[in-house]
Amino acid sequence: MPGLGRAALVVALGLVLYALVAGGYAALKGRRRLHDSARNAFVGAFVSVLAASAVLLGAFLADDFSLSYVADHSSRDLPARYAFAAFWGGQEGSLLLWLLVLTGMGAAATLLNRRLVREVLPWTVPVLAGVAAFFALMLVFVSSPFATQPAPADGLGLNPSLQNPYMMAHPPMLYLGYVGLTIPYAFAMAALVAGRIDERWIVATRRWTIAAWTFLGLGVLIGAKWAYEEVGWGGWYAWDPVENAALMPWLVSTAYLHSVMIQEKKDMLRVWNVVLVALAFCLSLFGTFLTRSGVLNSIHSFAESPIGSWFLGFICVVAGVSIALIVWRLPLLRSRTKLESLVSREAAFLYNNLFFVAFALTVLWGVAYPLVSEAIRGIASTVGAPYYDFFAIAFGLPLVLLMGLGPLVAWRRASLRSLGAGVAWPAGVALVCGIALAALGAGSSAAGLVGYTFAAFVLAAIALEFVRGTRAHKALGDSSWAGAFTSLVGRNRRRYGGYVVHAAIALLVIGAVGIGAFQSEREGRLQPGQALEVEGYTLRYLGSTQERAANALELRAEVEVSRGGESLGVLTPGKNRYFAEQQTSNEVAIRSSFVQAEDLMLVADQFNDDGSVYLKAIVNPLVGLIWGAGLVFLLGSVIAMWPDAREQRRLARRFAEPGAYARA
Amino acid sequence: MRLVIALSVAVVLAVFLLYTSFAGGATESLRPSQLAGHDGEVQLAGIVIGPVTGDARAGGLRFELKDFDGPAKVPVVYTGSVPDLFQADRHIYLRGELENGVFVGKPDSLVTKCPSKYEPKQDSDPA
Repeated sequence: MPGLGRAALVVALGLVLYALVAGGYAALKGRRRLHDSARNAFVGAFVSVLAASAVLLGAFLADDFSLSYVADHSSRDLPARYAFAAFWGGQEGSLLLWLLVLTGMGAAATLLNRRLVREVLPWTVPVLAGVAAFFALMLVFVSSPFATQPAPADGLGLNPSLQNPYMMAHPPMLYLGYVGLTIPYAFAMAALVAGRIDERWIVATRRWTIAAWTFLGLGVLIGAKWAYEEVGWGGWYAWDPVENAALMPWLVSTAYLHSVMIQEKKDMLRVWNVVLVALAFCLSLFGTFLTRSGVLNSIHSFAESPIGSWFLGFICVVAGVSIALIVWRLPLLRSRTKLESLVSREAAFLYNNLFFVAFALTVLWGVAYPLVSEAIRGIASTVGAPYYDFFAIAFGLPLVLLMGLGPLVAWRRASLRSLGAGVAWPAGVALVCGIALAALGAGSSAAGLVGYTFAAFVLAAIALEFVRGTRAHKALGDSSWAGAFTSLVGRNRRRYGGYVVHAAIALLVIGAVGIGAFQSEREGRLQPGQALEVEGYTLRYLGSTQERAANALELRAEVEVSRGGESLGVLTPGKNRYFAEQQTSNEVAIRSSFVQAEDLMLVADQFNDDGSVYLKAIVNPLVGLIWGAGLVFLLGSVIAMWPDAREQRRLARRFAEPGAYARA
Repeated sequence: MRLVIALSVAVVLAVFLLYTSFAGGATESLRPSQLAGHDGEVQLAGIVIGPVTGDARAGGLRFELKDFDGPAKVPVVYTGSVPDLFQADRHIYLRGELENGVFVGKPDSLVTKCPSKYEPKQDSDPA
């Protein structure tokens, strides 16, 4: 079977190389049939990679330890559902997943967009094939998942901390996001080569970009949820280089999703958009590189592997080619329209973009700083959480404010007076909230109070937009309020889906501010019977228990939680000592309360021989909103992505008229 | 005008970044062999050498830290949270400073890398 997997990968490599060469030649010479053949080869490569993946998955399910990769990432007693997690638990499997998603998405995107972008499409196939060829080369020659060995009696098993449902979803989500960004990149580069730099490539890839961006965002959030529950240090995002690796392309693609609207509406920012899409793709490659090379100190561990230098080389090639293409097409990309006023919707989008990109570059600088300082001064220096926190506040707060203001500013040229009238309501709501919160004692953190107030402003502004829109639709003849609301959202999916996403971000900000600025923590060594007080909770340590489970010794501290004399039950934080892996893992106990809108998190940090326990108690206000925001975010993205037959017809008409698409 | 805005923001940002990262905020990341002669707080990375003695919550946990690829080592004393994966032969890093030949770790700054056991040749990525 390993032979079959290897053969399938070699076939896939051959097919993408053919798609690259033949597709490029066909596009250059305008050979229609050769192009179709190249595209079919690319689709064939997907099928071939799918077969290779099936072989690898089959080997995991059958415990075929003659494959080194399977022996290193699985064991006989590993539950079958974690076979998937083991599939992408290491480098070779991750690369295979990359290639699988890339060929799958690429095939779908080229097949679905056959009509809309006829002149651009021939070039997308060789671009996609070029990227796919890199991964296929890695898998065939450098890092094969099908290397064999004499089968050991049992495999090494999967890291216990990865045996978690969140860890089954987190990596594939990130990969779908990283790889998904290849699609807009390929179309943008194809448009540059073809010299068709109108907004068609943007329209054709809009939903792909939103999908990739949604996966990336959810992937980061699911990783944060895993860290919150499994790692148990009380936080949710630690600015670890590998977390940042996924955050950077997300930030840049967020900027891109906003700035393309300017190009579609006003034909401005053409250069900026291709730069952003190339930057997002480079950052997604850089993210894969960071997770797969050993260049940085991170909680995620990686030995220095040969793949690192290959990746760095590939990133340089991609960046070089992108820059060369953009410079070559610069004369065509210059737009004829100019910004009319610094107070306008366009300008608001522009400020938003500058902040997003500045934030992404700040994070990039922080991530790369150890490498840069080592190259310059010989000693690696790292920047820590204070650096990132500072810039998250410095760029984040203005972004939140813009998120509320942007939708209220008129296009082209807004008078300050009309802006003031539009802003009055939400600003009033925000002010009342701010004063109320300050009275309740939220003033202990200035940034926290400002964050809450801005979030209230955004939520009020979004609510106002929905109310105004619904009222307008009702006035236009919709019989019921519900009908007016549905037709409002249905006819402007991207806009109102976008507002829902904005609401999700506001919720996320509230949760992040709660945990970041208003977290309280107490810790202490407790003998049985002793108690610890934190934020109105009384935590009485009753004693510890030990239980022998199948694969681990489970130590638990029994802690009775009460509040105001009323018992809230017993929490049992503890540690599991795994026998086979000779490893301990913290089992955090969390009590989420909707009434108090906070989490009580208990960590049994240390069990002592004298029967005492070192207990850490953390109270996280409003943290539930962070996870709730993920669901709202998903809802908003789905609304924005939902297929719209009316829009398709309108676009088809618009692009059918020669020259019509390049309207100023 | 657009260009002017973008450039001015970029320039301000660049200056700001250079300032914050070179003037403060950044911590030097060293190996035990590079430690001599460095005052102030640094980040130290290396491999834990046993025996690990003491109590991280009372008096401090004591062990030695060795270069990844050399014999140089330094004694370490550390108080605070100890990660699950901490034990002899693991790769760790922590912040702290050298005092009289002993590296005194800052509370709760110790971070363990994942054990290499799960992938003997190339380490795995847990997330």
